[in-house]
Parts: sequence; C-alpha cells; structure tokens
Amino acid sequence: MTDLPISSTAAAARPWAAGAAVIVTAGVYAWALLMAEETWQVTGLLVLAVAAVLAALKTGFARRLHQDWAASEPRLNRLAFAALIVLIFALSDAHFALLMVATTLLYFTAAMGLNIQFGFAGMANFAGAAFFGAGAYTAAVLGTVTAVPPLLTLAIGGAVALVLSLPLLLPILRTTGHYAAVVTIAFGVLFRTFLEVNEILGGPQGLMVAPMRLFGWDFNSAPVIGSYEMSFYVNYALLAAALAGLVFVLVRRLERSWIGLHMDAVRLDETAAACFGVPVARIKLTAFLLGNAILGVSGALYGMMISFIAPASFTFSDSLLLVSIVLLGGLGSLWGSAVAAAIVVLLPEKLQLLQEYRFLLFSILVMLVLLFRPDGILPRPLRTFFASRRAGK
Amino acid sequence: MKFNIGTKFHRIVLAAGACAGLACGTAATAKETVALGFIGPLTGGVSSVGLGGRNSAELAIRLRNADPAAKYSYELEALDDECKPNVGVQVATKLATNRKLAGAVAHYCSAVAMGTVDVYHRFGLPMTVWGAVLPDITYGNDYPEITRVNGTMINQNETAAKFMTGLGYKTFAIIHDTTDYGKGHNSYLSKFLAEDGATVVGAFGVSADQQDFTAELTQVKALNPDVVVYAGLTPGGVRVRQQMAKLGITAVFQGVSGIKSDAYFEGLGGDLAEGTLTFLEGAPAEKLPGGAFFLTEYEKAGFSTPPEAYGPFAFAAMNLLIDAVEAVGPDRKAIVEYMGTVKDHESITGLITFDDHGQNTVALITGYVAQDGKWVVWEDSDYAKGTRSLPAPK
Repeated sequence: MTDLPISSTAAAARPWAAGAAVIVTAGVYAWALLMAEETWQVTGLLVLAVAAVLAALKTGFARRLHQDWAASEPRLNRLAFAALIVLIFALSDAHFALLMVATTLLYFTAAMGLNIQFGFAGMANFAGAAFFGAGAYTAAVLGTVTAVPPLLTLAIGGAVALVLSLPLLLPILRTTGHYAAVVTIAFGVLFRTFLEVNEILGGPQGLMVAPMRLFGWDFNSAPVIGSYEMSFYVNYALLAAALAGLVFVLVRRLERSWIGLHMDAVRLDETAAACFGVPVARIKLTAFLLGNAILGVSGALYGMMISFIAPASFTFSDSLLLVSIVLLGGLGSLWGSAVAAAIVVLLPEKLQLLQEYRFLLFSILVMLVLLFRPDGILPRPLRTFFASRRAGK
Repeated sequence: MKFNIGTKFHRIVLAAGACAGLACGTAATAKETVALGFIGPLTGGVSSVGLGGRNSAELAIRLRNADPAAKYSYELEALDDECKPNVGVQVATKLATNRKLAGAVAHYCSAVAMGTVDVYHRFGLPMTVWGAVLPDITYGNDYPEITRVNGTMINQNETAAKFMTGLGYKTFAIIHDTTDYGKGHNSYLSKFLAEDGATVVGAFGVSADQQDFTAELTQVKALNPDVVVYAGLTPGGVRVRQQMAKLGITAVFQGVSGIKSDAYFEGLGGDLAEGTLTFLEGAPAEKLPGGAFFLTEYEKAGFSTPPEAYGPFAFAAMNLLIDAVEAVGPDRKAIVEYMGTVKDHESITGLITFDDHGQNTVALITGYVAQDGKWVVWEDSDYAKGTRSLPAPK
C-alpha cells in the first residue's frame, strides 16, 4: 500500500467505473451507428465520436481510463464481451447490422492472428488474406463432404492455413525485415493465381460455401423464440463473438507467457535475444504458424457466413486491409485491433453515401489518425510483469 | 346580423370545401416515394462501367420523376460492390433487408452476381441483372426474383452460329482457352452449330496465356475447316490470327466478345485483322432502337462520365423495374410475379421477354467485322454490301 500514490485513491476505490462507462457507451454508440441510415445521422454520429475522443484526451478522462484498464482488465474484458452479446441481441432482427458485427468480429479475430506475428514477434505478413482465404476455401470444399461436422471444418481451416505456411518457413526464417515481407507478398500473389487457374476450386468464378451447422442446427435458419423470429445472422454473430473471445483469451495468455516474452525479445533485438539463449527460429516459427492458423479459422467461418467466395475476395489489397487494421489499432494491441477492425469494416460501409469517393475519404481518415497517433489508436501498453504489484496489493 | 353570420358560415364552408379540394390536389401531387436499388462496381478497376451503369439507372429514375403521369416518385439507392463477391454479399444484404426498397438493378461482375443471387432469393427482393453475362446467374437456379435484361454467352453463340451457317460455312475448328469463359463459349457454340447443321471438326483447349499455337494450328490446317474460331480474349486472339497466317491457313477467323477491343488492331495491324468476325451482347448505343433518345437524355443530364457499353442495359433494367412498380405497386412479391410475365416489353435495347429462368430471350446480339482497322457493325460493312468478301466456304 505504501507505493500507492495518494491522487489515485479515488480511482482505486472503483478502479473500473470509467472503463465500464466507456464499454456501455461504446455499446450504445455501436447500436446507434449500425442502425443509422440517414446521411445526417451517420455524419452526426461520426462527428460525435471524434468530439468525444478529443474531449476525453483533453480532460484527462483518457488517462483515467488507461489506469482502470491496467488495474482491472480481466473484469472489463468480461464486461465488454457481455456488452457485445447484448448488442447482438439488441440488433436481433437487423440482418445487415448483424452481418456487419459478425464481419467486424471475424476481421478482428484475423487481426489478432496477425498481431502475434506482426505485433509480438515483429514478422511482417503481407499474405494475411491468402491464409484467411485458405480457411474459406477449406470450408467450401469440406462443405460438400457431409461427413465432416462444420465445427471441425473451422479447425481444419486453421490446419490447412498452417500447412500452407510450412513451405514458407524456410524463406521466412532465412530472411528478415523487408525481405521476409516480400516473401509473403509473393505467396499472396501466388495463392490468388493458383485459385484462378484451378478448375476444381471454382477458378475465377468462385465457389459456394455450405452454411455452418452445430449439433444439427442449420445456421442459415432463423432462431425463433416464442413467436419472435430473429435474423439468422444472430447465429453467425454469436459464433463469431465466441471465436473472437476464445482467440482473445488465447492471445492474451500467449502474450503474458514466456513465449510472449521471447517474442518481444526477438522483435526488439534478434541478435541480443539469441545471445541470451532465446530460441529465435522456434519463436518465429511459432508466431508464424499460430498466427496463420488463427487467420485460417476466422476465414473458414467468414466463408460460411458469406456463403460464396471467389479469388477476388482474397487479393493483395485485402491483405493490406488486414495489415492496416493491425497498424491502425497499434502494433500488438488487441483492443486497438478491435477498434480498428470496427473502423475499417464499418466506415467504408457507412460512407457508401459518398459513392465513388468513399475510399478517398476513408484513406484520408486513416492517414489523419496515423498522423496524430503514430503508434496507433490504442498503443500497446508497457508489459506489466507483476500485475498484482501495479494494482497496489 | 343573422344574414352576416349566414354569409360567414357560407364562407367557412366554402373555404373548407376549397381546402378539402386543395388537400386532395396536394395529395395527388405528393406521391408516395419508392426506393429502388442499384449495385455496381463504383470503385476499382472496372469502375468506369459501374459509374456509367449507375448514371444510366439514375437517368431512368430522373426521367420518370419528371413525368407527371407516374404514380410514384422514385429515389435511387446506389451501392458499390467493388467487383468483389464478399463486398457484393454485404451490400446486397443491405439492400435486400431494407424494407423501404421495392426492387434492385444490380451487378456487372459475374462472380459477384453468383454470390449474391442467394441473398436476393432469401429476402425476396426482385433483382434484375444489368451487366453480368455468366449463364449460371439465371440458369443455375430457380429463383423467380432474379431476371436479366442483357444477353449471355448462350445468346451470343446462338446468334453467331445462325449467322455463320447463314453465310454458308459448314465446318468449324474451335480453339478455346480453358477458363469458364473459353470453355463456355466452346460448348454453347458447338451445340448451336450442330443444331444449325454445321460440323465442328476439332476443338482444342489452350491455356489463357499460351504463346505458341503451332501444334494446334498444324492440326487445324490438316482438318481444313471453313472457319477457325478462337474463344478467348484479345491477346490469344492476336497470336492465333498471326500464327494462322504464318502457317498459310486461309479460313475465316471468328472470335467471341472477348476479342472485340481496339487492342486487337494494335496487336495485328489492319491487314491481318481484316475480315475477322466477332459477336457482342448489345449494340453500340446509337444503334439501339432507343439509343438516340438515351444518348441525348444522358448528354442533357450532364453526367461527368460516359454511359459505357452497359449503360443502356442499366437504363432499360431500371425502366423495367419502374414499369413493374407502376403496374403492381411497390410490393416485392407482386413485382416478382410481374417480372415472371414480362413479354415483348418495350425498352431502349429492344423488346424484353423473360423465359422461365428470368433470362431475356430476345437479347440483342450484334455481329461485327474488322474493316480497315476498325470494328464495323456487320450490316454497315462493305462485306455485307458485297463490295468486299470473306474467304468462300470450301
């Protein structure tokens, strides 16, 4: 107790209040934004968000929030997950809004996979969409085989992405920095070309993907409670939320483990890490394979939800989109990726009213964010080695 | 006083009557607004076609809104599919789940349309394709919601086979690339040629970027057909034509829609290209039945980008959809039913008749011939007039 600064006593009394308030507000805001259809509503909400963020930064609320999060993150994470589930049920008859929520969650999950590689181990991967697509194509192919339970398909999707990354291991381990990035770019281009000339996988026209089924429940049929019929996208949104939650816990644990510590060391200085006996090659290999497997799993569920896939959906520009989520959110910052995924998925969609100019404005907004927050929206906080100590116990 | 009150009362009644009349009048002019959707690639590589389509659809709506006889006033909700199936499914879901929306005109990219037809069917939104050409979009399902005003490669090859056999050609050799595009053309052309009494003496699959066709062409030379067909895109067509000349094959060279581009002449020069035949869905806008009207109105509307090849189809599709709303009201089920009965419907691209899959059966196909380094509509060419001639049937 002695090292606890007096000024933070108020915060320490309820060291989660600010965080909880923000989560609830964000949930309500997300609902409003998803339901907004008129131009003035969308514009108003976007302006409101910018104003709120600026106000939070000016008044010191942002710092308070930061402290809260550092002090009681597990509790706030659980609250955020609960808020997400409430949001999904609040939107239960809005098909399109749910599709957007589920898409955001799957992009977020994919971005967490990339974060292991990019944010933790410092390995650039510009073939994210290819591994994402590998999962989706696995789902498409396995969907035609009725014997495979679709839940297993998700795992197999991850396994296929993992197997596909095996041939890349050697070039990735032998190169670093920009050279490793070029290897992944080449793979991404190769993947797309392969799909386009491959007749069995539908060629350039693409493939149908069978829907998700769980314990005999077809995800493409609407859940009915009493006489109330919900959108079938509720199924996908809930499963995507579960997947995102699971991956979140996994990646958080990984980050806090010795493996995560080693990854940080490898990223910061490979030579120094090797001198201290960190198995650099094994750590990089772990990051690369695990990240790609997560990409594959999220891609498999995405494919089932979209129900139709084609090579045009998994191009280099889609890989860049995934990378931009990681960069925009802040390297290695999971909550940053969540916010960035929401921005990258929702903003271009809400800017549809600008028609052909929407990507222009979207790009300008991304550049502005990075100009004022060069480390991303929510930069990864410094590692807390002893969480209990930080909380003052 | 009494008298006064009486007149006052009278006035009030009159005023009330006049008001009621006025109210009725305004009710008649303030029409119910009906939202109609449009989807096309507004950003990315093929955005020029998408923007042309969107402008044309908007033009159809503007013209109808200016028409006092229209029962409803219309508004357009245009969305961008980026020519990507996943984005297409997203925006299609957005339109289809918008309860205010009565119908949509959508898709230039076939892969996107293949992905979204299920969405329209699931939510019961009537959708008319304005540009995508893959036959499976209409023929690959039994969805009554899906219709298409433009032709497919089936119509293209039906017209091509009829036209070529009409000129007296009897034997054909087909070289096709192995994409869906090339293979589709091969199978439909072979089918229609057989129906029209011609024989396909040989069909050769080649990869889309093959450079050397000597092996295939040597066999073709031995088979000695009247016509050599290349089903693929311009670069392959240029090479086949060049290598035909090298091997001394004098047969007529026929292409498919994929080689109808100016790059064909840049690759070959006028002499070798001369007399090449090809077919394309639609027609140059000025050749369409209502083309002159469309082009003047488009000009007048002051859009910053041209309508491009498929603009007239987007216009025709949107007009058809508006006609449906005018006839049966903004009810999705009723519009789907109406679309099922469309027969000989007037449009600027010619009459529209949907078959049981919602495909326009009288889709317009135009034949072109290469003449002096340009693609000339067959009917206007020196070849049709008889002043020049193609190699004679053997």
